[in-house]
Amino acid sequence: MTTALSVRHATKIFGAQVALNDVSIDVEPGEVRALVGQNGCGKSTLIKILAGFHAPESGTEVTVGGEKLAFEDPAASEAVGLRFVHQDLGLVGNLDAVDNMAMGSGYITNPTKTIRWRKERAAAGEALAALGYDINVRVPVASLQMSERTAVAIARAMTDRGSPVKMLILDEPTANLPDAEAQRLYALVRRVADTGVAVLFVSHHFDEVFEMADSVTVLRDGNHIITRPVEGLDEEQLIELVVGRKLEAHNKDAADAREHGPEILKLTNVAGGSVTGVDLTVHRGEVVGVAGITGSGREAVAGIIFGGMERSGEITIDGKVLPQNRPDISIERGVALVPAERHANASLIDQTLRENITLVDPGRHVTLGILRRRPERADVRVWLDKLTVKPGGQTEYTMAQLSGGNQQKVILARWLRQEPEVLVMDEPTQGVDVGAKADIHTLIDEAAAQGAAVVVCSTDHEELVRVCDRVVIMRRGVSAATLRGNDITADNITAATIGRGTGDSTEPAD
Amino acid sequence: MTDLQTAPASDGAQKKPKRRFSLGLDKYSGIYVWAVLVVIFALWIPDLFLSWDNVRTILTFQAISTIVALGLIIPVAAGAFDLTIAGALTVSVCFTAWALLSHKGVVVAVGGALLIGVIIGLANALVVVKFKVDSFIGTLGMSSVLGAIAYMITDGGQLVLSEQGYYPFLDFARTEWLGISAPVYYAGLIAVVIWWVLEYTPGGRYLYAVGGNPVAARLAGVKVARIITLSFIASAVVASFAGVVLLASTANASPDIGLGYLLPAFSAVFLGATQIRPGRVNVLGTIVAILLLATGVTGLQLAGAPTYITQLFNGAALIVAMALASRTARRRS
Repeated sequence: MTTALSVRHATKIFGAQVALNDVSIDVEPGEVRALVGQNGCGKSTLIKILAGFHAPESGTEVTVGGEKLAFEDPAASEAVGLRFVHQDLGLVGNLDAVDNMAMGSGYITNPTKTIRWRKERAAAGEALAALGYDINVRVPVASLQMSERTAVAIARAMTDRGSPVKMLILDEPTANLPDAEAQRLYALVRRVADTGVAVLFVSHHFDEVFEMADSVTVLRDGNHIITRPVEGLDEEQLIELVVGRKLEAHNKDAADAREHGPEILKLTNVAGGSVTGVDLTVHRGEVVGVAGITGSGREAVAGIIFGGMERSGEITIDGKVLPQNRPDISIERGVALVPAERHANASLIDQTLRENITLVDPGRHVTLGILRRRPERADVRVWLDKLTVKPGGQTEYTMAQLSGGNQQKVILARWLRQEPEVLVMDEPTQGVDVGAKADIHTLIDEAAAQGAAVVVCSTDHEELVRVCDRVVIMRRGVSAATLRGNDITADNITAATIGRGTGDSTEPAD
Repeated sequence: MTDLQTAPASDGAQKKPKRRFSLGLDKYSGIYVWAVLVVIFALWIPDLFLSWDNVRTILTFQAISTIVALGLIIPVAAGAFDLTIAGALTVSVCFTAWALLSHKGVVVAVGGALLIGVIIGLANALVVVKFKVDSFIGTLGMSSVLGAIAYMITDGGQLVLSEQGYYPFLDFARTEWLGISAPVYYAGLIAVVIWWVLEYTPGGRYLYAVGGNPVAARLAGVKVARIITLSFIASAVVASFAGVVLLASTANASPDIGLGYLLPAFSAVFLGATQIRPGRVNVLGTIVAILLLATGVTGLQLAGAPTYITQLFNGAALIVAMALASRTARRRS
């Protein structure tokens, strides 16, 4: 059998940066390969070369099923049998599965060019059934479950478009999936591979690597580090390969030993969005986690506290009542929000890191009515260094030039620069690689050590275990339970969020 | 098929990355094109094109368009279209003429025109910010309303200031310093102020932030509604001021006097967004764009092209500008 994908000497240089350095990999038909590495390691560059988006440097050769791939031409990539499903899936939410699947391949029509809906629906249903999904193909895809939407996107990618599918490439397929749905997706990917199609998927989630992949390729700083079978590999080894060093085992005692100051943030019977009633007190120097399944209210807590959302009830900072829906006043009182989904809620993607960081307070460097660039740049550079944003010291890079983890650090820099008294974070390490994640966790520790009250809302339970002194569990819009000390384990949090937990549900979340 | 891949500048990882655009071709392409145009016309019609009179004519003619375009930069920076600028200019011309002819005095006439600018800006903001109507549609509707108001003021006809009676007012546009007429200086002054605001004040940062991502701006404490409101007021007041200058230079008001000012302003602002600071609307880029458009149009007219060349040129420029802008946006993502 011919190799499904063969990449030889792939090299790509952007400006002064070598994004990909002489990478050679092979993937066999029917193999499921995970592609892992930190943000900026070159995996997106590799995928974009395969997708016909970037032209690699000369010397790079790619063959798909023995056929040579012409670069920088998405149609050529498709013609040789490569198919892509990106993280955002590329579905149109208000159209149904039939329409979404027809978007790539066109509709089945009769001689008068009228769409043959019945046949079209049957075809869509069959394609999904082949992937093990029984989905109503006539409802808007936005109303489907996340894993079902992923299935629609994969079914669309697998549709024969004049060239047999040889390879399916998935970008972070389970990034937003709850565990049960992720399991369904693993099975789906297995079915695809069983038909002889090779699968390559990019991932930050190591559990999905171990559950789904036959083999794994690790990239670091543009270099191919290793390709090996998943069998016989454990998570710690994989992290070490990805990061290139041993991650220091975090000393949980540090959190335990932390002295908590006086109370500063107090929520009394607060409701808004999916939250129906929360009481919460946070002390200076304390890190409080908020966990809960989607729809439990967890996703609204950060916005409610900061004032990005309408709410009722009372919130006080140092005893002073905070008005609702006034982010500007919250900032004045020392509250900071690192929101979820930085692209939508935090980034000025086409603007410089400098402008992104000083956005909250650009007046700081105004003298005689003129905003001085030089001190502003120096100020920003200090923060870029402090947060080890890569590439270093580039205050005039635009946000778009950074990888996801570094973008998140820039947003964090924006707020840490304000020296907040209350730091609220929503999914602080969403789409961030392990190295940057560890850095961000350390920054959270430091902020708390300097006396800030920190609230971390997260679906990453390991993260909550890592950083929190106390974890509040949201269920059905209310703060239902609290975990402390040794009770804070990922399993306990998971159990408590779905309501069968050991969390003490009688105790109010003080 | 594979020949495409042997790009000359890329010999693998060892080669030192070449600095792209070493001439700043992306940022300053407008200036180069302008220089080329000047050379072409200088060779083609030297006696007409290279005369000081011609330079003066270009400058004076463009001063009012420039003022309107400069005002427009502000809402566009904040991500809002303002199609009422031509309407605001027209209403201002008509109101000022009416007030002068009714012997209300220069102060009332000019002050009133600027106040009307404020009101137009507030009305736009009400529609766009409060009622959440898309700015393009909202200001399109408003501009029709303003057209009607201009008709009401003039009764559909023309208002003509007889030259003698209004001499002091007409001086406002007809005075010359160093051989250059006053409107050019006004345009220069307004350019400096807006440039300073956009580039060197927190307010400028807020404008661009709101234009870039209003949700993120709000969550960073920027008062988005206030910024958009102020930007509409600014553009309407600047357009009203342009109206006053226009009346002083033509001494005549009619309800269709502003028609020709809308598209050139948009052309200049969007073409300007590909210059100096590519990807964002900016003052210096807009000025480069105006020079470019004015030189092209005037040169062609002097060379004997028909008058409709202006419309043709401005329309084509707007489309080219938008195409260039979306190309840079694609390249960067």
